[in-house]
Amino acid sequence: MTSTRRVGVAIVVILAALGFLVFKGLGNATVFFRTADEAVHQKASLGTRRFRVEGVVVDGTVAQQGNAVRFDIANNGSTVHVVHQGDPPELFKPNIPVVLEGRWAGDHYASDRIMVKHTEDYRVENPDRVKDYPTSTTTP
Amino acid sequence: MSTTRATPVTWPTRLLGGAALISLATTVVLGLGLPPTTEQGVYARFLAIHPQVAWCSYLAFGVTALASAAYLVRKDVRWDHLAGASAEVGVVFTALTLVTGSIWGRRTWGVWWAWDARMTFTALLLFLYLGYLALRRVAADPGTRARRSAVAGLLAVLVVPVDHYAVEWWRTLHQKSSFNLTPKEQLDGSYIAVMLLGFGAMTMAFAWLVVQRYRLERRRDEAGDAELEAAIAERRAEAVVAP
Repeated sequence: MTSTRRVGVAIVVILAALGFLVFKGLGNATVFFRTADEAVHQKASLGTRRFRVEGVVVDGTVAQQGNAVRFDIANNGSTVHVVHQGDPPELFKPNIPVVLEGRWAGDHYASDRIMVKHTEDYRVENPDRVKDYPTSTTTP
Repeated sequence: MSTTRATPVTWPTRLLGGAALISLATTVVLGLGLPPTTEQGVYARFLAIHPQVAWCSYLAFGVTALASAAYLVRKDVRWDHLAGASAEVGVVFTALTLVTGSIWGRRTWGVWWAWDARMTFTALLLFLYLGYLALRRVAADPGTRARRSAVAGLLAVLVVPVDHYAVEWWRTLHQKSSFNLTPKEQLDGSYIAVMLLGFGAMTMAFAWLVVQRYRLERRRDEAGDAELEAAIAERRAEAVVAP
């Protein structure tokens, strides 16, 4: 019986340690990213600290510049100018939410990792394509 | 105790296995034929597999918890065997959840892994149940071992709902559920049928695996009893020879 109790205590200790790690780790994971407006408001306190920022890629702002890609992300009315080093991922395009990793560097956010944050939206591509077809061919 | 084989393969088990195999194959064929979606293109087809695998890991740990509770109430060793069998299959499904999710994430997010709440909790779930399986192998008398495992099985299951709701409670890279009992409206109709078929197929595969693993556990138990009886008989024979 005492050995059972000892194992019971060990399990409780292990669980407590796991729980502690999780909530310590989740301090990070719960703020997995800051939204673009939060990043702008907290700019002073963030300094040059590394953090993740989320926003929707603004259409018409994406421009290749040597090894870097420049674009803007927007969220809740705030815009962040981004300079990303490296190649964006396959599904990167305007009007989609992205999560970036990097830090503030003067007037822009220097990113070195883009994660495309897709939603739970699974609508099929161009379901109205057939309807559009006649209008595009009748006009010469 | 007896020499009869415990839990022989019955026709319902064979039927279950056959149905699981056929429906899984159908899910794969139909899943690969799903139309591309606007956001994820062809990668949305992972919806036919990944959520179903994840569901089976939750289901497995739920079964383990229920069987653990049943063991604590009834003290019947068969509930303990079921709890162990289900947890073992659950660990396989959790590992598959991480693997399929990682491949999907690499294509759509651009990264294999991110420490967001959903992924962190799924990884935690895997290690918790690996720990549970290790605990089941710690030497002790069968009653103590089973009771200990039952308590662990009831505690570990608490992480399952946290993992499931992680995408609602915290900011995650992982998208929210597209299927919460009923499909969401952003889910294209063609996906609903294949997802449902996949859920059925994967659940049958899970059940079949648990039945097989449970049978093995029963056989092992029986073999252990037979071995013990043989050893006792041997010692008795020795006692007769020695004066």
